[in-house]
Amino acid sequence: MALLEVRDLDVIFPLGRKTLQALHGVSFDLDKGERLGIVGESGAGKSVAAFSILNLIAKPGRISAGRVVFDGDDLAKITDAEMQHIRGNRISMIFQDPMMTLNPVLTIGTQMVECLKAHRTISDADARRIAIDKLEEVKIPSAAARFANYPHQLSGGMRQRVVIAIALLTDPAIIIADEPTTALDVTIQAEILALMLDLCRDHGVALMLITHDLAVVSQVTQRIVVMYAGRVVEQGPTPAIIADARHPYTRGLIRALPQQNRPGVRLHQIRGTMPTLEEIPVGCTFHPRCDFADATCRQREPDLRVIDAGKVACHHAEHIIGKLRAGGTDG
Amino acid sequence: MVEPADRPLVEIDQLHKTFQVGSDGWFGNRPRLVRAINGVSITILKGESFCLVGESGCGKSTLARTVMGLEKPSSGAVCYDGTRIDDLADSRRLPFRRKMQMIFQNPYASLNPRMTVRQILEEPLRFHRPELGAAERYDKVVAVMTSVGNNPDWGARFPHEFSGGQRQRISIARALMVDPEFVVADEPISALDVSIQAQVLNVMMDARERHDLTYLFITHDLSVVEHFGTRVGVMYLGTLCELADTRTLFASPRHPYTQGLLAAIPRMDGSQLSHVKMTGEVPTAMDLPSGCVFHGRCPLARERCQREIPELREVAGRQIACHYAEETA
Repeated sequence: MALLEVRDLDVIFPLGRKTLQALHGVSFDLDKGERLGIVGESGAGKSVAAFSILNLIAKPGRISAGRVVFDGDDLAKITDAEMQHIRGNRISMIFQDPMMTLNPVLTIGTQMVECLKAHRTISDADARRIAIDKLEEVKIPSAAARFANYPHQLSGGMRQRVVIAIALLTDPAIIIADEPTTALDVTIQAEILALMLDLCRDHGVALMLITHDLAVVSQVTQRIVVMYAGRVVEQGPTPAIIADARHPYTRGLIRALPQQNRPGVRLHQIRGTMPTLEEIPVGCTFHPRCDFADATCRQREPDLRVIDAGKVACHHAEHIIGKLRAGGTDG
Repeated sequence: MVEPADRPLVEIDQLHKTFQVGSDGWFGNRPRLVRAINGVSITILKGESFCLVGESGCGKSTLARTVMGLEKPSSGAVCYDGTRIDDLADSRRLPFRRKMQMIFQNPYASLNPRMTVRQILEEPLRFHRPELGAAERYDKVVAVMTSVGNNPDWGARFPHEFSGGQRQRISIARALMVDPEFVVADEPISALDVSIQAQVLNVMMDARERHDLTYLFITHDLSVVEHFGTRVGVMYLGTLCELADTRTLFASPRHPYTQGLLAAIPRMDGSQLSHVKMTGEVPTAMDLPSGCVFHGRCPLARERCQREIPELREVAGRQIACHYAEETA
């Protein structure tokens, strides 16, 4: 059994007379020590999926169907106190902007000790020792001195290292990282990604990396889940998805990247934009932007079905892939 | 693709830009300065798509704003088509403002939320071409909206009714309304989603052909540079460290900073994370290192680098500011 199982998850946001459905039958697994990438454009539902695992969806949003099973426990059925024990302890989270995550009026040491004491019965001295160990582990130079610093005294990259150190404090089983390097410069991003990769390998921590950046997931993760309009449209092993994605959307997304195109020529593009939650099309949610859409796609929503090593939600996956490989005229 | 003619369109000569951000000393008589740009010289040829890359705080946006006349240079000169423009009075500068237009990063902030799209697009025309009648102005709106791939019937709508990609196309349309020759684009696709980035980049490349544009494209995203640029300047802490045509730079970067920057691009060729060549972070421009600004992070730095500022010089078909450029191949 997987460490984390998300099954047929529906998340709804009742807003006045309308109800918006942010997630629609989302399912995926995360194994112990596995690195999983959740990829999608803004509004695809990748952050909602992560938040719903930790029961952090902002009211009035709620999980209306499906379940999240962590280490054998159905997280929907446990008490708040039991959730407290899991959230920030067994499952940690790293957010995009370290300046928003860290409290600006407390030293990073205070914040680290506070976090440890919330989850463990531990003396101040022991908490301090563990915190400094973790700061050293994320390669913060002169960790003991940095312990007394305030967040504003650190650079952006250092702050994100502190956030990672805090996530590691309680030796979690899973780290959920929501766009952890999006706010950073490319050289700092490379350092932080390398650090996260090493830490996950060394500690056997499972990583759920949420990002819009396909190049980043291709270098860090072992498996990819692609989301579109609140649904999982494709999932599979990272190398297979990057080299030979089966869903026209995934394929289009990869082909749209400048590094996948010959310099100076027009880029491959997917026409249109992702629908908002208020105007989800009938049938396959991607059909208005898909070059291969036919009557079936306009009427019936495709199920996620197993094809080779992965799963694809496309009526014509086998047929399209043949055409794309032959013609190379991706959507 | 438009082949660059060898005529210089924009010449930036020994540009310096310093901002005072406060003062020190007993009597507040010692100004605290940020040296945003330190002696940058770039010549942009007609028809080029010149890209300027660097990390945040390297001065690339300040350079763009200074070229556009949104900031006055502290010293140095900016020439447009042979005329020095940085010291012109506002009224004399006006004709140049029509020829030079700018596209900003955030289409949510750069479009006035209380104006309709049609008002937004007509405003530059009313200002720069007051001789045009209402009908001519409207025709131009329709033509330009169509050319950037937006529906011309959207003129009565407000910016909030559009997605990010559509909004960025509106700001490109606004820049194109007055038929500019030179367009400065400051991170025009950074705020957009991947599938939308490709659309907007395509619109900009189409506009380049259709309107015979010259671009100064500011970005931190090197994979976009490789695709879009004809020549690239790499900036670090207000200094130009390497300048070459795109193919040369990506095939064989020679400045240690460029090498580190290229190695840091996440690649999709199935490789795992490449070895990180560069450590540490960019120092602030308030406290510039002595000598070569990059020496603190440079794997090759020696004693001379701490002492002596390297001049930009010609090595292996590119301009490079490194004392040991011969050894970096």
